[in-house]
Amino acid sequence: MNAMTETGLRVLSYSEAIREAMAIAMENDPTVILMGEDIGVYGGAFQVTLDLVDRFGPDRVMDTPISELGGAGVAVGAALTGLKPIYEFQFSDFAMLAMEQIVNQAAKLRYMLGGEASVPVVFRLPAGSGTGAAAQHSQSIEAWFGHVPGLKVLQPATPEDAKGMLLSALADPDPVMIFEHKLLYKMKGHVPEGSYLTPIGKALVRRSGTDLTIVAGSIMVHRALEAAERLAAEGISAEVIDLRSIRPIDAETILASVRKTGRLMVVYEGVKAFGVGAEISAMVAESDAFDHLDAPILRLGAADAPVPYNPDLERAAVPQVETIEAAARRLARREV
Amino acid sequence: MPVEVILPKVDMDMSHGKLATWHVAEGETVAKGAPLFDIETDKAAMEVESPASGRLLSVTAQPGDMVAVGTVVALIYAEGETVAETPIQTTAAPEPEAPVAKTVEPVPTATAHPAAIPQADPAVAPGLRATPAARAAARASGITLEEVPGTGPRGRIQRDDVAAFLAHRVEAPALASPGAGAWSAQPGPLHVSSRKGTGVPLVLIHGFTADSQSWAPLEKALGADRPLIRIDLPGHGRSPRRRLGSFAELARMVVEALDDVTRGHDKVDLLGHSLGGALALAAADIRARRIRSLALIAPAGLGPEIDAQALTGITRATRAESLAPWLRRLTATPDGISDDYARAAMRLRADPALRAFQAELAEILFPDGVQPFDLRPALSRLEIPTAILWGRSDHILPWRQALSITGDFALHLLADAGHVPQLECPDRVARILVRHLLM
Repeated sequence: MNAMTETGLRVLSYSEAIREAMAIAMENDPTVILMGEDIGVYGGAFQVTLDLVDRFGPDRVMDTPISELGGAGVAVGAALTGLKPIYEFQFSDFAMLAMEQIVNQAAKLRYMLGGEASVPVVFRLPAGSGTGAAAQHSQSIEAWFGHVPGLKVLQPATPEDAKGMLLSALADPDPVMIFEHKLLYKMKGHVPEGSYLTPIGKALVRRSGTDLTIVAGSIMVHRALEAAERLAAEGISAEVIDLRSIRPIDAETILASVRKTGRLMVVYEGVKAFGVGAEISAMVAESDAFDHLDAPILRLGAADAPVPYNPDLERAAVPQVETIEAAARRLARREV
Repeated sequence: MPVEVILPKVDMDMSHGKLATWHVAEGETVAKGAPLFDIETDKAAMEVESPASGRLLSVTAQPGDMVAVGTVVALIYAEGETVAETPIQTTAAPEPEAPVAKTVEPVPTATAHPAAIPQADPAVAPGLRATPAARAAARASGITLEEVPGTGPRGRIQRDDVAAFLAHRVEAPALASPGAGAWSAQPGPLHVSSRKGTGVPLVLIHGFTADSQSWAPLEKALGADRPLIRIDLPGHGRSPRRRLGSFAELARMVVEALDDVTRGHDKVDLLGHSLGGALALAAADIRARRIRSLALIAPAGLGPEIDAQALTGITRATRAESLAPWLRRLTATPDGISDDYARAAMRLRADPALRAFQAELAEILFPDGVQPFDLRPALSRLEIPTAILWGRSDHILPWRQALSITGDFALHLLADAGHVPQLECPDRVARILVRHLLM
């Protein structure tokens, strides 16, 4: 990131980038409103909406009661009437309280009403572990929503994508869930000025390589990139793909990479079983890229346990740079 | 889980091995590291050690069976471990479709598959481990996977293995002619393999980063009757890595190996290439009476100059792409080395410890990119028939070094050959050896 600063490009933090996206959208489109618990004067649990109530007023930046089901329900209803609400969950874990509205209402209404209605709601969900917030505030449940037709599920890994994805989500006529990683909020990076759209459903090759493919999302992209950098010193060339979108998933980019490298590893913060890695592994196994596989597919996910509160255990429970590096090395050295 | 006993690959171009004897009977217990069974390949006989301690069960290969490399031939159960009903899909009972590749002789070539892939692929033996990429590569090139030695975990055949197999097949087609004597290994500090025949044995010493397998094309050109003895230098081929401080120490080690192998013979002919040439020269100087004739191909030790970049490049390369350009410097023209060849060569250099050892050895033998050892005096002292063969397009060692030496030797300058004429034009090299020496 320092390199970017030195080049004179504009640098913002991930949370500043999200805030800027919301401000731009609200300035350009009077139907965009913000809803959520303590997002007004307090600025939100992670201070992402800080000061927006001062700029746009309490009618458009609305504090909702501590009822996720109620808040999400109002947001879905508002979207049906033509508004474009952005509903913030304090923690993505609390989306479970609003499942009915997200899964049964927002995701299904376009289908059930024959395409005559749409629900252009955006849900923002601070996700992931690493903050010592324990089992009920540290989960990575994005894969749950990958299972629901009608939703779009995004995971920005950089400030630039965080802004571009939010603007794309607002431009999308259907419900979009954006899982923001809590540890990334302070991460700084280049963010272009003005309005731009990051395509939904398009993965990005963040590092090109030939020996193996690492598909990762959110903060795991950065860990995978660091592992790849370390492995490069040993002559191992890892390709790192930033998944960016879980639903829709960019099969083309992943399959092309597997055809090239013949070795695939998927790294994600959700529990390993029944997760993003399972979907990607099966997708590759079912495709023509199968014939290019030269080793078993590896998945690195979280331990089969709730995220522990103990900091050492919390760290050990999810993939870290060292675990990614070790697994990738074994895969590249044909030890798997 | 029981530990699988796998027929190992003990020779570079080995696809099958004959299980000669079991040292442990089925049902008996065996200790890890104890001799378990003997295998014979077309080149060598080897004792295989037990991979684990426990009871030997589910033996699927009997003495005399030809077995594909990587095949599970038995299982070893730890003390108290429950024995599965049918751990592998075969039992001792002689079933007609016993799945282990029992007697399938290696089909040499020309079993090209039709473009359409049959439902049940007859190229793939049940239980054979191969990655999808290896299977696809085998289908595309019309070979059966049973022929291909697997180097992956648990003997799994990987894409590289198929590439190496194909490269090697191109390099040395139909290597084992029926009449050819089998290679056998001799005990000693260095790996020495010999092949029986009639006449005076020819001892072969390979060059830096090569191994005794690199003589295959020349061996073929020389014919199957000649008795051959090949020495693997330390940290090369199948010789163990041994710490060395100087060229002199290496030469002493080679002379000791030579003493061992010549014990049963009155005299031997000696042939060395590059570093092996310098070592052959040193050995002939010390053991003049045991050597009938000496042939040196692009020998080291006749001048200080050497292409140090290529040495460093080859020893440091971790991938076929970075190895290939340096390999291409070995031959007269770069097109002598295909990508497949480079991949096969890299596969043989896959072990980081081997690369590290050879890189260190390069630094010891050729400090600062110079040949510090001078064998010109040795050459001028020789009284046995001696020939030097040198490619005129050698990019590693300059052939002009041969012009400044005094001594009674024949110099053959080979047009269109680089640093490895024995690989580039083996027939021509063989012809010169036969015509000008007493070989």
